[in-house]
Amino acid sequence: MVGLLLQILADALLLGGVYTLMAIGLSLAFGVTRIINFAHGDVVMYGAYGAFFAFAGLNIDPLLSLPMVAILGGIGGYLLFKMTLDRILNDISINQVLLTFGLGLVLQNVAVILWTGDERSTTPSYAFDSWLFSDDIVIAKGRVIAFVIAVLFVIMLLAWLRWSELGRATRAVSQNQAAASLMGINVRAMYGLSFALSSAFGAATGAIMSFLLPITPFMGFPIMVKAFAIIILGGMDSVIGTVLGAFFLAIAETAIAYLVPQGIGWAEGVAFFLMVLMLIARPAGILGTAGRDA
Amino acid sequence: MISWRSTYCVAALALAVAVVPSQAQETIKIGAPLALSGKFVSYGAAAKRGVEMAVDIYGGKAANKKIDVLFRDTQSDAQAAVNSFTQLLSEEKVNYLVGPIATPMAMAGLPAWRRTKALWVVPGATTPLLEEEAGKEPMMFHTFPYAYHYHISLAKILRERLGAGKTVAIIYSDDSYGREHLPYAQKYFAQEGFKIVAEELVRAGATDLNPVLAKIRRARPDILLGLVQTTDGITLAKQAFVQRLGVSYLVGTAYPQLKQWQDATAEAQESWLGVTTYIPGLKAKADPNYPKLFPDSDKWIAEFTKRYNREPEFIDVGAYVSTMMLLLAIDKAGGDNKEKVAEELKKLDVQTMIGRGHFAPTGNGTLNQAFSDVVVHQRVKGKDAILFPKEFETSKTVEQATYAK
Amino acid sequence: MNSTRAWMVIAAAFLVALVLPHFLPPGLSELATRLSTLILVAVSWNMMANAGLISLGHSGFWGLGAYTAALLANAVHMPFWLTIVPAMILGGGFGVLLAYITGRLRGLFFAISTLAMAEALRVIALMVPKLTGGAEGLFVFDEIRPGRETMTSFALCLAVATVAISYFLSKSRFQYALRAMRDSESAVQMLGVNPARFRMGVTALSGAIASCAGVISAWYTGYLDPGAAFDMKITISAQIAPLFGGLYTVSGPVIGAAAIMTLSELTRIYFGYSAGVGLLVYGVILVFGVLFMPSGVVGLYGRWRNRSKRRGALAEGRP
Repeated sequence: MVGLLLQILADALLLGGVYTLMAIGLSLAFGVTRIINFAHGDVVMYGAYGAFFAFAGLNIDPLLSLPMVAILGGIGGYLLFKMTLDRILNDISINQVLLTFGLGLVLQNVAVILWTGDERSTTPSYAFDSWLFSDDIVIAKGRVIAFVIAVLFVIMLLAWLRWSELGRATRAVSQNQAAASLMGINVRAMYGLSFALSSAFGAATGAIMSFLLPITPFMGFPIMVKAFAIIILGGMDSVIGTVLGAFFLAIAETAIAYLVPQGIGWAEGVAFFLMVLMLIARPAGILGTAGRDA
Repeated sequence: MISWRSTYCVAALALAVAVVPSQAQETIKIGAPLALSGKFVSYGAAAKRGVEMAVDIYGGKAANKKIDVLFRDTQSDAQAAVNSFTQLLSEEKVNYLVGPIATPMAMAGLPAWRRTKALWVVPGATTPLLEEEAGKEPMMFHTFPYAYHYHISLAKILRERLGAGKTVAIIYSDDSYGREHLPYAQKYFAQEGFKIVAEELVRAGATDLNPVLAKIRRARPDILLGLVQTTDGITLAKQAFVQRLGVSYLVGTAYPQLKQWQDATAEAQESWLGVTTYIPGLKAKADPNYPKLFPDSDKWIAEFTKRYNREPEFIDVGAYVSTMMLLLAIDKAGGDNKEKVAEELKKLDVQTMIGRGHFAPTGNGTLNQAFSDVVVHQRVKGKDAILFPKEFETSKTVEQATYAK
Repeated sequence: MNSTRAWMVIAAAFLVALVLPHFLPPGLSELATRLSTLILVAVSWNMMANAGLISLGHSGFWGLGAYTAALLANAVHMPFWLTIVPAMILGGGFGVLLAYITGRLRGLFFAISTLAMAEALRVIALMVPKLTGGAEGLFVFDEIRPGRETMTSFALCLAVATVAISYFLSKSRFQYALRAMRDSESAVQMLGVNPARFRMGVTALSGAIASCAGVISAWYTGYLDPGAAFDMKITISAQIAPLFGGLYTVSGPVIGAAAIMTLSELTRIYFGYSAGVGLLVYGVILVFGVLFMPSGVVGLYGRWRNRSKRRGALAEGRP
């Protein structure tokens, strides 16, 4: 019994790491710009494909190609932002929703045309290794690596937000846009920066996902939906809130999958259920401060 | 005063009218509603290759008329499938259909097909629902195994090689694929004396199968049967390997034969068993009467690879063979008369690259079934060992699975 | 356009709807039916958007309507025209539920909730196979399925009715309330309208209309499964059509729906059958539409007309 509980805990924690990765990029972008980027999942997907081609073509391990993929993702995200969203920042929110949605469709189908729907995967050796504890508890190496990277990203992001000029400017914009611009902060530039960073994180996540999940052009949407649920749960403008949301969701899903019969079938619905509950009870999320009339 | 201009116009029109219908009489139209976009595109694209190659090798004509294959994209979408069928059947008035491959597409097209009941060759659609709804129709020709055929062969071969009293755990995905296979797996494995100790549902596209794998590990089965589609098959194989599932025999359905599954699972693919209608390495011999149409496997594979620059997989071959048989039947019937063609199709008995091409009732409701025998294979050291049927067998042992160290 | 003329146009449209399908070849008949269902969801979505409520879960209504129709057809052999009623009740009820649960949440939060609810419906359809046929899908009892012409007339009539409702709504006093709601729900109270009840009314009507689209699709196709009935593409089309044609207007969704259908057929014909091109085009339209045509085709037309009026005025020496 103890063994089962420990396994559930281990699984939940590791899954939380994966979920944190999925949500962190989206959380940053949304926290600052208040625009939900429906194309976020597709950025992750491109990161995964990037890592795959580096692996299959040049034999570069995903962890090594990660920085490159992240940089390219960041640049790509910034360019996309500049060409599209930047122009409609003052439009009604529905237009922004539709735009990012459309961008997502474009990105996804370009991938379908270029690379077809065949599943792919990177296969570095650590993706197939695991540690065995006391005969019953198995910990997958690949997941631990994802967890470590997630922790690293969170620390990096928090440090940047706290101690760097740009980071603090970003936080200012996220908390109060009007005041920030009065302080001389170029809000539009901050938007661009957030999007760039968000895409960088997204692409990096994709590099990690490349050995955890099958890579297809359609992998992005479920990731985005999960990320969505997480930032709603944790609070859209708080990094730590996002982390808490990720772990909260991971624990809930894992517990249900293990303990409820056919649980894994309902587990996917858990994300939505919790999300709606949170929206009703406390729309700001666990640690968020977004108002009701957002 | 006669206007010469209008006379010329009328004459030209009359000529055109006279020419056009007679041209129409010179072709036989075959409708091919296939998924050429969307999630089933790999099936549709493969079928298109098979159909085109067959028509080309046959010479493009049958019963002295030109064969015109009308491809229509079902877009992996039910409404589009209905539109494709209706367009082909009511507007183009085709008498013959080949496809779709994917079960949901065939199901969506079925009500539309019922209105005209063209001769329908189905080189796919494993769902027994097809058998229920259209099996007894004399115009429906099913050229692919049903889900239960997979399990009949699997259960039999496992019983033969592993002996009595073994236990089985089943994982199935909560989409139409998993749910349609499950009752047959249950029935035929139980019939062969296996005890089913666990049945676990997984969400199609799930990222984390650990909870399910943990439950399975606790049940300590001898055999794991994974009734899932390719994407989940990848996740299942990888995670079972990493999580040290410890089950001796790992059995999949159609995915272990696919190159994309093999590439994505790398070392985790070792020892997985699978079923298919065709696999490279299957050395079939040419049909004595039609060696050009149904050559030796090697020859056919070489020709396919030359044309399309890729290795054929089971749907490519299946579509080729089905189309070939249809063309033969049309030729023998001597014209575009679907009842006669149906008769000739039923009389055909040919040796093909996927086994004996002959239509007979399944005993479960389908009147015209061909190619219900499946090949059971196992991934051993990156190659396929063929375990069943006897004439293609390459190995007597079933390897046990190994896991992460 | 005054009231009597409006009624005459509507009557004429109904007449056309009833008669035309008998003269259309099967291919065009298909298109007409699909166009009608698109118009239904487009107008319905537009209605909600008009009130400031962005729905990302319109597929939920469609699926609800489709399953209601199919299940009733199979269970009690209810004729197709009658299945509209329970479908509308359920669709409307679901809309009310949505409004009630989301309380005063607006914009983004509302949108996410709609997504959640549509997804929840889909999961339910999957997880109770005994009722819904689950993932394998459901065939609609064939004997009572109407012929192609009847079905197309039915669909067209519903489309006409929907546009008519939308038109009358735009002429009613509710129009001001709707516009106010878009900006601020508290302002609405000043107009003497109860915002909560108003919101429920909008979602109920919108939901009922969208469910009808599902009903048509179920009867027309004769087969449904959770993947198709709750397909995301339904929601996407429901958004693109009004956006392209002109948000918040009466004719916008209709024009947009026609334009979208034409475009999708054209891409299919010209790009043959390449994978992914259709959706790619949709995405590109969406992006370009938002960037360069935010008021849609109707907006463009309006601006063109204004420009020519002004040019005319300038020519005559008027300011």
